[in-house]
Amino acid sequence: MNKSIFIVFIMSILLIVSCATDDSCTQTKYVTFTADFFHIYHNDTTKINTIYAMSIDSLTIQGLRLDTLTGRYTPVDSILYNNSLESKVSLPLNNFSTHSTFRLKFKTISDTMTIYHTNMNDYLSLECGCVILHKIDTVTITRHFIDSVRITNHDVNTINAENIRLYK
Amino acid sequence: MQRIFVYISSILLCLLLTTVSAQKKKNKPIVVPPDSTVWLNGFTVQADIGSLVTSTLMSGDTYSSEAAIQMDLKHRIFPTLEFGVAGANKLTTDNSGFKTNGTFERVGVDFNLRKRKIDSKPTNNLFIAGLRIGMSHFKYNVTNVPNTDDYWGGSVPLNYMNQTSSKIWYEIVVGVQVEIIKNVFMGWTVRNKNLISQDITGAIAPWYIPGYGQNNGANWGFNYTLGYHFGPKNKYIKNKKILLNQKQLNKQ
Repeated sequence: MNKSIFIVFIMSILLIVSCATDDSCTQTKYVTFTADFFHIYHNDTTKINTIYAMSIDSLTIQGLRLDTLTGRYTPVDSILYNNSLESKVSLPLNNFSTHSTFRLKFKTISDTMTIYHTNMNDYLSLECGCVILHKIDTVTITRHFIDSVRITNHDVNTINAENIRLYK
Repeated sequence: MQRIFVYISSILLCLLLTTVSAQKKKNKPIVVPPDSTVWLNGFTVQADIGSLVTSTLMSGDTYSSEAAIQMDLKHRIFPTLEFGVAGANKLTTDNSGFKTNGTFERVGVDFNLRKRKIDSKPTNNLFIAGLRIGMSHFKYNVTNVPNTDDYWGGSVPLNYMNQTSSKIWYEIVVGVQVEIIKNVFMGWTVRNKNLISQDITGAIAPWYIPGYGQNNGANWGFNYTLGYHFGPKNKYIKNKKILLNQKQLNKQ
């Protein structure tokens, strides 16, 4: 047999052996909405506001689901953050509703935050299925502990970038 | 592993036949290749046995069947047209389904890299390398794609029916073809396939492309062909005569 044909034959076997496929999904599927906490310091003499990133101690966050029969919000069984120290939080938005409501508890004071959003299907592959991406329209919050909120990025996807800033 | 086993055993079978064929020819009249000064030396019609065997032995996820017509120009250049049908009926562990049936075509050219030495026996066997451009236009269904919300609850499976796609790819081909009996050729090719037309992010991309294989980056393909050559009649001469002629040439 020709020497070159033999070399190609050996290479072919190696290449074929190396091309075994794997059906598992390797892409990330976690789509979360990210909120960062900031503190606004107002200097009375200079009249200038200075903004600092801050960490919140004893923070508890839980989703609230609207009960259509009673018209009242009931907490989702799972607690997202429980008495933890956080400077930013990542929250899952509701895939099958256009608004997601969360109760944010800061030690003894609680705020309720509602995010209004649109949902979009994003097909990944047969193995991975699809993820639901969101676009934030509006954010509302009761102002018991948090002073104000600002949307910095409307797109909620797998990148996990900052979407809103919560100011105290 | 099953696929790898099939490929390797196919290659070994091909090599075995090649060796047996070569041994048988030792003391028999041999075929002088077609006249290299003539442009058109006929054509070969080939069927891919490898894809048929693989489709049968695989777990039923995919099937493929193809044939080819290969022109012989000066016994150096081989313009080739390949065509076939292929499909997939895949079910994942999540019970997501992908189903397609379609046709495909490939056009390209092979070059015979085997250079005949002055003192070697004339042969029709080929060691080829070439290129292909492949294309397929097909419809497919993606069903029961899981869509659940782990935190808020709820599940609505998604179905994408009657999706259409057109794909173009190129292939780099190397292989061998051996004349096992008069005008009957057996051979194999290994090919590296790369898509030219890529999927847009978020599009319902097909899991399988007829003629290309699984839509997961570059692919490797293997063909194991059986073909019949139609064309000018080959000239038969005895080995002894060739050896005598070579001796005479050496003396000169």
